[in-house]
Formats: sequence, C-alpha cells, structure tokens
Amino acid sequence: MANPTADWEQVGDKFYRKIQLYTAVFDQDLELENYIVTGCSYGGAVALHRDESKLHSFRGTQASKSSIDLYSCAGKLIRRINWEKGSIKGLGWSEDEKLIVITADGTVRCYYDLQGEFTQFSLGNGAEEYGVKECRFYGTGFVALLTNNHLISVSRYEEPRPKLLATPPEGDVYSWTLIPPAYTLSRSVEVLLSISNTIYVVDEIDSEDRLLDIGPFTHISVSPNGKFVALYTESGKAYVITSDFQTRYSEHDSRSKISPKDVQWCGNDAVVIAWEDEVHVIGPKNAAARYFYDGRVHLIADHDGVRLITNDVCDFLQKVPEVTDEVFRFGTESSASILLDAVEQLENQSPKADDNIQLIRPSLVEAVDTCVKAAGHEFNIHWQKQLLKAASFGKSVLDIYNSDDFVDMCEVLRVLNAVRFYEIGIPLSYEQFIRLTPENLVRRLINRREYLLALRISTYLRLPTDRIYVHWASQKVRVGTEDEDTICRLIVSKLEGKRGISFEEIARAAYDEGRGRLATELLNHEPRAGKQVPLLLSMEEDEIALDKAIESGDSDLIFFVLLHLKKKLPLASFFRVINTRPTATALIESSAQNEDSELLKDLYYQDDRRLDGANIFIRESLRQPDPQSTLDKLALATKLISDTKELSFQQKNIQETSSLLKHQELLDSDLTESFTGLSLHQTIFKLIKSGYASRAKKLSSDFKVPDKITWWIRLRAQVSARSWSDLEDLSKTRKSPIGWQPFFALILSAGNPKLASIFVPKCAGEVEPQQIIEMYEKCGMRVKAAEEAVRIKDVETVDRLRAAAGVGTVEGMEIERLGAGLRR
Amino acid sequence: MAPCTGFDTDQIKDKARKDLLYLLEGVRGKKILVIERELGDSLRLFVKYSTLLEYGVTKTFFLENGDADVSQQNVVFIARGECAKHAQSIADHIKRMQRETQTGHEFSIFWVPRRTLVSEKILEDAGVLGDTSVAEFPLYFMPLEKDLLSLGLEDSFADLYLRKDPTPIFIMARALMLIQQKHGLFPRVTGKGDNGKKLADLLARMRQELTAGEDSTESTKLGLTPSNNMESLIVIDREVDFATPLLTQLTYEGLIDEVVGISNNRAMVDTSIVGAATQAPVGTSRGSVSSASTQEKKRQIELDSSDKLYPQLRDTNFAIVGPLLNKVARRLKDNYDQFSNRQTNQTVAEMRGFVDNYPSYQAEQKSLKVHTGLAEEIMKHTRTDQFTSLLEIQQNLAAGADPASQHDPIEELIAREAPLTEVLRVLCLESCISGGIKPRELATFKRNILQAYGYQHILTLDALEKLQLLLSRTSPMATMIPISSTVATTATKTNYTYLRKALRLIVDEVNEQDPNDIAYVYSGYAPLSIRLVQCILQKQYLTSITRGGGANSGAAGTGGASQGWRGFEEVIKHVRGQTFDEVQKGEDKAVKARALLTGSGEKKTVFVVFLGGITFTEIAALRFIAKKEEARKQIIICTTSIVSGPRIMDVAIEKGTLGKNTAPAV
Repeated sequence: MANPTADWEQVGDKFYRKIQLYTAVFDQDLELENYIVTGCSYGGAVALHRDESKLHSFRGTQASKSSIDLYSCAGKLIRRINWEKGSIKGLGWSEDEKLIVITADGTVRCYYDLQGEFTQFSLGNGAEEYGVKECRFYGTGFVALLTNNHLISVSRYEEPRPKLLATPPEGDVYSWTLIPPAYTLSRSVEVLLSISNTIYVVDEIDSEDRLLDIGPFTHISVSPNGKFVALYTESGKAYVITSDFQTRYSEHDSRSKISPKDVQWCGNDAVVIAWEDEVHVIGPKNAAARYFYDGRVHLIADHDGVRLITNDVCDFLQKVPEVTDEVFRFGTESSASILLDAVEQLENQSPKADDNIQLIRPSLVEAVDTCVKAAGHEFNIHWQKQLLKAASFGKSVLDIYNSDDFVDMCEVLRVLNAVRFYEIGIPLSYEQFIRLTPENLVRRLINRREYLLALRISTYLRLPTDRIYVHWASQKVRVGTEDEDTICRLIVSKLEGKRGISFEEIARAAYDEGRGRLATELLNHEPRAGKQVPLLLSMEEDEIALDKAIESGDSDLIFFVLLHLKKKLPLASFFRVINTRPTATALIESSAQNEDSELLKDLYYQDDRRLDGANIFIRESLRQPDPQSTLDKLALATKLISDTKELSFQQKNIQETSSLLKHQELLDSDLTESFTGLSLHQTIFKLIKSGYASRAKKLSSDFKVPDKITWWIRLRAQVSARSWSDLEDLSKTRKSPIGWQPFFALILSAGNPKLASIFVPKCAGEVEPQQIIEMYEKCGMRVKAAEEAVRIKDVETVDRLRAAAGVGTVEGMEIERLGAGLRR
Repeated sequence: MAPCTGFDTDQIKDKARKDLLYLLEGVRGKKILVIERELGDSLRLFVKYSTLLEYGVTKTFFLENGDADVSQQNVVFIARGECAKHAQSIADHIKRMQRETQTGHEFSIFWVPRRTLVSEKILEDAGVLGDTSVAEFPLYFMPLEKDLLSLGLEDSFADLYLRKDPTPIFIMARALMLIQQKHGLFPRVTGKGDNGKKLADLLARMRQELTAGEDSTESTKLGLTPSNNMESLIVIDREVDFATPLLTQLTYEGLIDEVVGISNNRAMVDTSIVGAATQAPVGTSRGSVSSASTQEKKRQIELDSSDKLYPQLRDTNFAIVGPLLNKVARRLKDNYDQFSNRQTNQTVAEMRGFVDNYPSYQAEQKSLKVHTGLAEEIMKHTRTDQFTSLLEIQQNLAAGADPASQHDPIEELIAREAPLTEVLRVLCLESCISGGIKPRELATFKRNILQAYGYQHILTLDALEKLQLLLSRTSPMATMIPISSTVATTATKTNYTYLRKALRLIVDEVNEQDPNDIAYVYSGYAPLSIRLVQCILQKQYLTSITRGGGANSGAAGTGGASQGWRGFEEVIKHVRGQTFDEVQKGEDKAVKARALLTGSGEKKTVFVVFLGGITFTEIAALRFIAKKEEARKQIIICTTSIVSGPRIMDVAIEKGTLGKNTAPAV
C-alpha cells in the first residue's frame, strides 16, 4: 500500500493533501469548459448548465436543447431538468441540497428534491425591469445583483421574502461576494462589492466604503468561517485580509498575466486559485503549492476543503488534519505513529510490536484516541482499517479505556464508506459528516431515491425512518405500474404499525398523479383528521373535508373549509351542507353576525328560523339613522313572524316598539324636549318630570303599564322634579299599590323630612311600630316618635329619645311629659 | 429533559417572555408595536415595558385605535390569529401606512397563539400578505398568579355558550397539550359537562395525533407517558353551574371585580378613592399606551401577590376585611410607636432593625391606604338598599325559597330602574335554580324589562334564552334532571333542588372569620362547581358533611389517589352535561423510565380547568381546598378567562338603542 503521505504537498509549514475521490467522472465529449458547474456543499450533487455566452460545437438539434444536469460527484447523472425559461443568471445550491435557479427576469425556482419538483417565486423589487446580473449563494439563501447595481436578498426558501438591500454606488462591479448572516455582526447578510479601486460593504441598512486603493479586484472570496477575505487584483496579486478590513494578513504575487477562472478558500487557512488547468494553493506567508491538470478545472468549495472537478477526476483538496499529520508525517515519532507501526510489526509477527507498546505506554490512551480520529479522516479503506486495528490493539493493552468513541467511529466509517461508494457518490469527509448530521445525510439519500441504503443507515444509526417510508410510498404511487388495489395493499402492509407515517403525504402524491381513488383509500389510513382536510378539499370531497375538519376540533380549519365551500357552492346547497352540522352553522352564524347579515337572513329563512331572522332586522333597526327607516326595519321583522302563532308575544313586543317610536316622534315635535331613544319608562318619567302628567298617563295606559310600576315612576319623577305639592296631593289618596314606605324613603332622601313625615302614619299598616319610631326619628321628629313609643308602651325608647333631645330643651320636656303618662 | 419536581407557573411566564423577546430580536432595529388591546394589557404580566424599550420598541399602539404612526420603518403587529377581525384591521393598517409614506416599511405579524389559515387568507385577499413576515407567538396560558393560569380569552363565555364556537376548547386543549408534552400525561382526566367532554376527547385525539406524527426517537416519547408528579386533570364546564357566577361574589377580590372590575390583575380606581399615585407608579406604567385623559382621574392598582396585604385579603369574605385592615393598621402604628417611644434608650442594633424594615413598613402602609380606600368604596356600595335587596333575593333563591315570593321585590327593582345587569342576573338565577320561570310570570317580567329599559332588549332577552339562562318553565331545555332517574327524560338542566341536599350547597352555620367550609365565599352557599371538584378531591370530607351532618368534622381527609367520581356517581347524574373519567396509560417501559427520571414526588399536582370562565370566589374556594390539601397536593387553576355576573350579563345585553343615539346610558 502506498504511503498516505505520497500525495501530500507542503505549503509553508503545513501539509495539504489531494485525495482522488473518483475517476472517469464525466463523458470525455462533455466540454466542461463550456459549462457552468456548481456543486452543493457536503459532497452534494453537482449541477451543470451550458454557459450560453460561450461557443460550442454543434451536435445536432437534440443536444442543443437547454437543460440543467444534476450529477453526483462521481459523475452519475441523477436527473436532467429541461430548461425553457430563458437565460439563467444564477445557479446555486442551498445547504439542504435544493437547487436554486434564477433567471434574468427575477424568477426564482427552487428544486427541492433533485427530481425536478420545484416551487417558484419572483424577486420583485425591480428585478423585472432591470434584470438580474449575477447571484451569490449561501447556506440558506442568496443575493441577486441587478444590472442597476441593486441587491436583493432572499434569506429563506420557505415563504421567501425578497428584500432590497441598501443601494450601493453606481459603477462597474468587477466582482462581488457575500458574507452569510451567521458570520456577520449584524446577523444579516453583508455583500462585498468591488467597485473602482475599493470595496463597498452593503447590508440592509447602509452601504459603506472600505476605502481600499489596491483594486479593482477580479475575484473576492470569503472564507468558510466568514473571518477572512481573499482579494485578487487585475495585476495578479492576491491579498488575504480580515473580513472587517482591519488587518492584512498576506500578499501573494501569482506573476500571472492571465486572470484566473476562480478563487476559492480551502478550509480557513489557504486560498485556491484556479486557472484553466492549473491550481495554486496559497498558504499564509506567501507559501504556495501547484497542481496541474489535463483539462479545465472547476472548484467547489466546501467547509474543510475544495473539490476539484475535471472531466477525468474528482479530487478533494484539504489541509491534512492534525491527527492524520501526527500519525503519518514523515519522520514523526508521535506515539500514534508508533502504535500504528506496532500493528504492522504484529502482522509480521515481530516481537518489536511489544517493544513499541512499552515505548509509548505512558501516552497510550492519547495514541489510541489519535488513531481513532485519524481513521475518521482517512478516505482510504486500507488505512482506515489499519488505524482502527492499531487503536484496537492499543486498547487491548489498556486496562481501562472508554471505547465509545471507537465504536462510534466504526459506525460512522461504515456509513461514510457506504455513501462514498461511486454509485452513490457522496464523498463526505468526516468533518462534513458531523456538520451535515446523519439525519440530513439520510434526507439526501432519500432525494436520490436510495431508499434501501437510507433505511439501512437509519436503522444502523437508530434514526427515525418515517420519512423514508413516506417518500418511498409517494414514489411508489407515482411510478408504480401495478393496479391501485395492489399498490394500496402493498403500501399499507409495508407501513402499517410504523410510527409517524403521514398517509396524507402519500395520498397527496397519489392525487397529484391523478389516482383519485387510491388517494381516498390511502387517506383513510391517516390518523390526523386535520391533515386530511386540505387534500380532501383539493380532491373536491367537500363534505368529507368538512366532517374531518369538525372532527379535528380546530375551528380555524373548519372555518377555512367553510369559506372555501361558501365561495364554491351555490348558497342553497351551501346551507344544505352546513345545516346538518351544528358546529359549522354556529361558526357561520357568529362570523356573519358582524359582517354579512344578508347571508344570515338567507340562512334563517332557509332554515325557517323566523325569530332569529326577525332579530336580525331588529339589530339592523338599531343602526338606522332616522326613525322612518327604523320603523321600516321593524315592520319587516314583524312581517317575518306574523303568521307564526307561537311567536305572538314577540310580535306584540315589536309592535309596541314601533308604536313607542311613533309616540316619541310625536312628542319630539310637540314638545321642546327630545324623547326618541328613551325607554317607555324613561319617557313616562320624563313627561311627568317636565309636567306633562296627562300625556304620561295616556302613554302608560296605552302600553298597559302595570299600576304598581306607574306609581313608582310617578313617585320617582315627582321626587326628582321636587314637585312637593303633587306629592302632598298624593298623600291624600287612600291607597297606594306600592305601599307608602317608598314615598317616605324617597322623599326623605330627596331632603324633605317634613313632607316625608306626612307619609309615616300611612305606613302604619305595613310595618312594625318600632320602625315607625325610627322613621319619625329620621325625619327629626322625636316628639312624634315618642308619641308612638308611648303608644306601644316602650319606656326604654322614650328614655332614649328624651336623652337624645336633651333634657332642658322644649322637645325634651315634651317627651318628658309624654313619657310621664307611661310611667304611671 | 431535566427532571422537574412539581409544576411551576413561572416556567410559563419565562417561556412567554423569552418567546416574545426572541421574536422582537428577529426584527432588526427600532420598531413600533401595534398590539391588540386585550393582549397588550396582558403583556405586562410577563414582560416589563422597559424591557420592550431595550428591544428597540419605541412606541406602542392599540390595534383597535387605528392611529399607529409611521415613525419607524419596522412595524410589528401582535394579534390573536383566531380572530378574523384583527386580520382585517391589520390589513387596513398596513395599507394605510403604505399609503402615508413612500419609504418601504417592514411589517411583521406575530400571531397569538398560532397563525391561522383564515387570517392569512384575509391578508392575502387584501393583498398585503407578501409584504409581511409572519411568525407565531405561542402564548397560550397567561400566568395571573402562581396557582392561576388564564388563556385570557375574554370572549370565551360568549363563544362557547352564545355562539357555540368551539375555539376556546381547542385553544385550551392545545395549551394543556403543551403542558403534557413537557410534564407528561395527566394520569387521569375527570370532568363534567358537554364542553368538558369535548375537551377530553380533543386531548385524547391530540395525543393520538402526536403519537402518529411523532418519529420514534427516544426524546419525545417520554413526553407522552403518564406523569409522575401530576395527579389528574379536572375539567368543569361553566355550563354545569351557571347559578354560581350569577350570585353576587362576597369575597374581597370578588367584590372588587363586581364593583370596579379587575382585568389582568389590575383595577382602575378613581384617585379620589385610593389617592393619587405617589412618586413611583405602582407596577409598570405602560407609557404611551394608556390614554392620557383617563389617567388623570383613574389610577391603576395592581392586585396580585406582589402587594403586601392583598394576598391576605383577597380570598376572605368581605365581612371581615374591615377588621383585618384595622388590625394591620394597629400593628403598623404599634411598630412606629415602639420606635418613637423608645427612641432615647434604643440600642444601635434595634434602630438598625427598624431602619432595615422601614421600606417594608412603608410599602405596607401604602398598600393599607389603598385597600382601606377601596374597601370603603365597596362598603358604600354594599350598604345601599338595592344591594341588600338583591343579595336577599339571591340568597333566598339559592336557599330554595319559593321563587314566586321573590317576584315582588324583583318587580320593584325594575320599577325603580335598578341596573339592568342586576335585574337580569336575579331573573336568570331564578331560571337556573328552579328550572325556568313560569311562562306567565316570565312574560310579565319580559314586558316590564322591555318597557323599563328599552325595546332593544328584545335582543338581550333572546340572547339570554340562547344562553339557556332565562327560560320558561315550559321550555324543554329548562327542565331539570328529575330526582328519580328511572324514567328516561330529555331533561338536561342541573337539578339544584336535589343537589342542594345531596352536596350540601347551603351551609347555615358558616364561619366567615375562620372558615371551615367553602361556603364562606358566598356567606352560606357553597358553589356547586367547587363542590364537584370536592367530589373528586375531598371525598371523605364531603361525605362527612353530607351524610354525617356536622360540618365541623374538620380536618378533611381524602382518599389517597384520586379515584375519579367514585362514590358520587349518583349525585353527579343530576348535574347537566356528560360525565367523563378517563385514565391515560402509557407503555410500561416508558412509565418506568419516567419514574426513574423524575422520582415520585410527594406532592402531586392537580389541574382544575374551568371552561367558560371562573369567578374570583370560586378561585378563593379552590384555594381554600388547596390550603386544606397542602400537604398532599398542589392545585393549579386553569381557565379560559375570569368571569363574573356582570360580565356574563354583558355578553347578552344589547348596547345599541332605538332611534337617535341621544339616550342616556341605562
């Protein structure tokens, strides 16, 4: 086996290695130099689109059809997407392997599953008038540069909201790039534009000149951690500076007159400059290494390195990981390398193996750890095995060692090797795998329809498998050639008893494919009622949808269905649908109450709910501006219930309402005061108070106000008008239907004890004598009180009253006199 | 998941705050906040206004006012997603703002507690959805107190019983589901009432759906096994006991609510009663939000446990609030006297002790002043003839007196134009307690009311009938469940006559000073709703007072684990609505895992959910039970909102008047 250091290259004091991932990547006929090549991070798919600005040889009409071709890194064609939308100005990937295509007119297509399914939105903000010039992408979004130098940022693909960034100055943009929001201070995306000699930094709020004088720059690139910026000038010089433009780290002169094709970062330590077939790796302190290729090289930057793609090979260029460096570096004497050597000796059955172990005994634990880690970073299966063997050997010597990392690494390596296999073509490095997370790896496999592998990996790593099944089933209903019953049976038998399976999604796929019956059948297996609703609606299974919505208890969902139905169905059939469903009716009623009383009227009419219908008119009558229209509305209400006998009471009430209104109108015009809007009692009250007793009397007899109440109203009105004489007249009446106590109480509280006292004797029939005494006292008439007390022979009270009056006063003496009779 | 012992409402508070601040942080730069009034008021329960300022909020406006200005580029709306009305008004706002200024505004909408299809459809139809970024602010429960969570759905009573809109049930289910996901399933769900049953069904369904939607990873599985530190969930539908809220509340807090009104732990009181706010305003003033005109005359009073005196006073019967306040006043005076009298021969340590406590004395003093003023004001109210007469009628009705005997006083109230709210309240009470009012008498009352308060109240009376609060005795809906339940009937109403005895709703020898039964909150009437809770939680006690007689058998013992309705099955048949009692089980393995993780807490939490609202008196009664059961249980009260008699009547009462709008307010 070749020494792993064979393809190492020194750049400064660090080593870089170029790992050949795949060979014979693309067809030799494919003129890679004429293609735009973009790759997804984490060893993801590569998209090829012919660069229309370049000439290319004619290959017949068939080949000239425009398309976007999706390849795996190993050159396996995943999908060809035919393209007829016009010139592509931006082609890029999101970190979850969505292909983003932006056309000149600002249309954005987001292909979310590698299989040609897409969502589409438009950039707006002037993109249509000016046209998109170029786009730059980052993990979750992108920025588009328009021809008028405006920048539009899209920060997410679910519910995208294209946002205009601050306007940069006019002028040619030589090159530009962006810093992803995750790495900026402002937490929003920042764009670096090379205009004339300097660089402008543009974010949402403003555009700022960084005052550089070494431009213009043909290439700008930001390091994966967002901390550094590499600038390449027309004169062939490359600079590395911090992204806040405060410190310049290094300067490199490529001495090349030809402008490079691409400048990218290789990890965070080195910059890779690619010419047509030559690649330079520039490290700190001007150190450099060179690689040469046979054809045009495309760079695909990843987090910890760069993928180099030519027709023949797909290479991965990265800084040698520290642990690998420790194990393999030429001439190293690290404990890990000795451990590795020990395994070799062991295989050769040499006793040196033990010598080696004894040598590194004190640092054996670290040596094992290093070997395990180094195995992870190794792409070569032979060396992976060798390193793990070394670790395992070292482990066996140790008394105590926590093998978790070892076990995990073995698992991860199995997975990594499986996906690196050329038929899958996902060349993940260990670091990328950790960043990507196993879940996302599985998702990528699902998108490639590698269901079996995805399932195996999921089970192996104990991950949820529901997504895989659902995706598989959806695919099955799309392309399965079997008849519907078989497919349904097949799917149900496979997925039954599995947790988290969304049958709704599968059903939707079936429906979209035009297999309506299959969709219905599958939907029956969906346990979540709410989930079924949107699909049922699009399947025009309206009533079932409504039932399911009601079942879910989610009023929003019910209402949503109802709105949909209301728009779709004629009113009569809409009512028929909701009639049998009280919840639906209730929701319609409560919403229509405020907004749509016409609908309500129709509903009640159809339902023969006369009273409710009448009440709408009454409610409307309350809002009428003038009495006449109010009366009209009331008449309508009456009409509605007039032929229903059970509602005669209500009918009478409405009639009274109108008649009161008419009375009040009359009063308004006859008298100077306004009566409209008052209640009947208030009207009578006001009439009495204003001295129109006869009118009041007529009104109360017209409306048959009960006697008691009339008396009360009169009493209150007269008291409040302070018409004492009228009240005094009343006291001469023999009988009052409400008794005389109210008279006493009200008049007293109105501040006329003298008049109040007149009513005291009249109350005698109603109350205890004791109370009579109190009443007199309240009026301040102690003598009268005492008289009463004497009458009931209550000596104590008499004494109390006398004391209260004061012994020497006239009152006191009077009481004394009265009391004397009692004492005898 | 960290092992958590017991349930703490502070977690909910913290989460609400964090959620809001996180969302606000997401909107860069300075912003103005346009918020639905109801929500704006409750925001202060978990976040200070000053904190909002720190997060770049420069101004706050109420959505309803429609006067938000355009001073900042960022505009944030916060509104309830369930309500189409708000979506419309947000759309109007956005359109207006876009018209007024040329510069592009950034609009964000935070829907509470979730975004809804309908609201978004409205925005879409209005053509503004594309200009906004939409987020969810999952604010379900608002922590009013340590033991009290409210959804803050002020309309929930009207929604549930007048409009039959099940939204509050759904939101409650979601809120409870969140608690279950965090703390585990309620091992038992027991309750009464049709809506309660709906809630329980919804919970079961949601659990099922969650299991279905859930992936099989270990972490989430744990959330769906029965909890170890929660004992049960008790659901009471307001519908089963309409009578209780119709009675006048007689605890201090209840009376404050009836007389001045409490919203979100805050009452607006005339400054003439409690004095103007001195230097530092009580609690957090929300600056620009409160309109200036009312602020001059009214003062906001925070009524929560942060107050020095209020916690001692709130749940006591109003009769003893006066003496209590006196006692405090005397104690405070003593403290001062002690200090000033012994000034000459005090040691430095003593002096220091006093000075250290001085701020607390001062706070107490201040709170004393407020509450004395407030109590006096309420006293003024309770001393009126009208109040006494109403109370007498209510008490008589509750005690089962012949309803006909109460008709004269009610008629008198109408003739004297007592507030409509109160009149309707006693009539509804009669209808609820005695299974409707005799048709002829009901007709007379209705006529009188229409003539006295205006014919627009045709609608009011109709609404009350729809609420099934005011019914004729002939109406099939009004009939009470007969005592002998052998005959199948369609009668549905709670039979108070039977229950009065069976659950001992009337306790004559109630001791307000040192209460021995929950009946103290209504001075002799024990709220049925709470008696039902006792059926589950305090079986022995309840049995002893209903069968054994003496209420003073004291120290209420309870059966260890909750056993649902056991022992009271017969009784609760006479209460309106469905009865349910479900045990939620989980996989054995998972149950054990949870037991291992959380340990079996000594004290278990019981959640009491009131659908359709709870009154302050009922809260007081529940707290009374909680106090008795302190050693074993913790009671958390959840409700859709706080209700009271006036609020219930307000739902029904028609606000408009006939003819010109010149009529004085009734």
